[in-house]
Amino acid sequence: MRGKRLVATLASAVMVTGVVAIATPAQAAVNICKAKNVAEAGGLDNLVKAAKKEGKLALITTPRDWANYGAIFDAYEKAFGVKISVDNPDGSSQYEIDTMKTAPKSRQPDSIDIGPLVVAQLTPPGGTPLSSPYKVINWNDIPNAAKDPNGLWYGNYGGKLAIVYNTSVSPVPTKAKDFTNPAYKGVVGITGDPTSSNQAFMSVLAASLGNGGEKNLSDVSKGLELFKAVKANAPLVKVNGTNLASGTAKVGFMWDFNALGIIPAAKQAGLDLKFAYPTDFVLQAPPYINAINAKSPNCANARLWQEFVYSQNKGKTAADLTDADLKLPGSKLFALMQGGQNYFMQSGADPIMSKAMTTKKLLVPSLLDFKVASTAKIVGPPTISDVLAAREQIISSWASL
Amino acid sequence: MTPSVIGEGAPSRGRTFSPFTSNLNFRKYLPALPLLLIVGYFFLYPITKLVYVAFLSNENTLTLSNFTTAFKDPYKTGFINSIKIGITSAVIAAIPGAIAAYFIESKGPSKLRRTVAVMSGVLANTGGVPLAFMFMAAIGIQGQLTKILKAAGWDIYSGQFSLGTFTGLLIVYLYFQLPLMVIIFSPAIVALRREWVEAAYNLGADKVEYWRRIGFPLLFPSFIGSLLLLFASGFSAYATANALTVGNLPLTPLQIGGLLDGNVSATQLNLGKALSSLMILISAFAVVPYLVIQRRTARWQKR
Repeated sequence: MRGKRLVATLASAVMVTGVVAIATPAQAAVNICKAKNVAEAGGLDNLVKAAKKEGKLALITTPRDWANYGAIFDAYEKAFGVKISVDNPDGSSQYEIDTMKTAPKSRQPDSIDIGPLVVAQLTPPGGTPLSSPYKVINWNDIPNAAKDPNGLWYGNYGGKLAIVYNTSVSPVPTKAKDFTNPAYKGVVGITGDPTSSNQAFMSVLAASLGNGGEKNLSDVSKGLELFKAVKANAPLVKVNGTNLASGTAKVGFMWDFNALGIIPAAKQAGLDLKFAYPTDFVLQAPPYINAINAKSPNCANARLWQEFVYSQNKGKTAADLTDADLKLPGSKLFALMQGGQNYFMQSGADPIMSKAMTTKKLLVPSLLDFKVASTAKIVGPPTISDVLAAREQIISSWASL
Repeated sequence: MTPSVIGEGAPSRGRTFSPFTSNLNFRKYLPALPLLLIVGYFFLYPITKLVYVAFLSNENTLTLSNFTTAFKDPYKTGFINSIKIGITSAVIAAIPGAIAAYFIESKGPSKLRRTVAVMSGVLANTGGVPLAFMFMAAIGIQGQLTKILKAAGWDIYSGQFSLGTFTGLLIVYLYFQLPLMVIIFSPAIVALRREWVEAAYNLGADKVEYWRRIGFPLLFPSFIGSLLLLFASGFSAYATANALTVGNLPLTPLQIGGLLDGNVSATQLNLGKALSSLMILISAFAVVPYLVIQRRTARWQKR
């Protein structure tokens, strides 16, 4: 056994050396760690080759059950033979920023996925940006409002808030105003503290839309009023996976793109959950943001990951990839795989390039069994100034609601 | 202190055989050096840094604004609630805890004493999300006990009750505060010497008189000390409250968590540090009198 393994190691070492020797002339001019687009990285074939050689991609606070990330990881790992590690999957965006600022090299992530409220921290005024500029192949399909013109950050996917409810409740909630129904007393609430959780924060905005505040997204007083009215019935419960699966929480707002993760988990515990968009107004939240960490330890994978997440193809998922596929040169393999944006689409999230992809007829159908009703109006996304104004209101009055 | 111990007949070996004590004082501290280094690096250094950063603005200039904000709402209410839940849970746990400790230590069989000691050790350290979940399973809205009580005609959720309210958290906190009281108060009971009871009875005291003039005054400092430790523990609890509340019950530890690790209030890191500094100050105020009182008690408990 031992001898065999040694021979194998030697053989692969020889092969790797061979590859490097062949690749050297082409690579001489490229420094992937400085590449600002795929051309500067020596083309997609070269980028894939370099990523395979690194063999590692370090991500941070992206749980598998969030927005279909699990399926994206599987496809990426299988196609490129890269091991993905995720530091602190359930952490916050602020944790990501703090890690980039303070963690040692070995714990630095390659790519981050952060909430829109902390984006400003990536580019401290007068300081060096925390991220490296990079523009993916499909850069022009990202709406201008959702990206930094220099490529320091770019929107990724946005969620809409849906109403999650336990099928045992009656009547079925159809809009935010229903939350005050005494039938849900003690089992309706919010995903967390809106002064610290982005999802909870957006839930207050969504509540505002449904309570007469749909005209002005910067004023969430209607949303606060709604939760105050709910609280007058009974204290708000925490609407998270655990509480939904134990029946402690039965009604609340939640990201539509987490339905695929939450419903089966509750099913295992013997409870049936359903998601539905409000029938009056649906909040389209500002997108989550991707960026390459300036201190990224695996330069090639950091960039290939962006290319994959922002690719638009319909095509093969991890399970469909054959051994023959895996032997193809990088760009060919890339072209036959389902693009990252379509994985988000399947989860029910709104991929940032959905408009362009609709035109190109590249979007795959969502896997969700619920849709925005034709009578409902999608509102948003709120602008940064809307969000900042709403934040002041929420911070000053949530605690004493 | 040292001479009096020797005077009372402690073995004098240390003194005669150790050639260093008298001339090189610092050598006495040498064995403690690793501990001092750890305390310095993991305790004093972070605290100093924390307090320093609390005085910085986002632009790294010196400012008091973090502290002025910390004294305004919602942070003011946070402090009031945290102090309130610290004091209430301490006071409610202290008296039954002390009585239980007394009966277990002085009257209980040794088997019971050992069992209680082990159980208290485990229970006092039960906290965080598991504790929150235990209570949800018991008296959450779908909890077993809730269902039993409801079947018996008492719906505890008919009013404004929830585990995420002040009363709810108080009940949850008592679960670790009571055993904690038993643990920290037991040594004081053990230190009550049988000779004192006998001496008092020999001099003609009755039970009431013994307790009024000897037992109670001796136990009182330990009691207050334990109370203060309970306060510190209830005042600073984080994970359990975090699992049960959604920010409607402002508590300083949760507010710090939100400011340092939240997705929303991202530009107020230093405010979080100011709140932390104030928490340290309050905890210190609670522990300093404990040390003073403890020293007083130690005088009696010394052998």
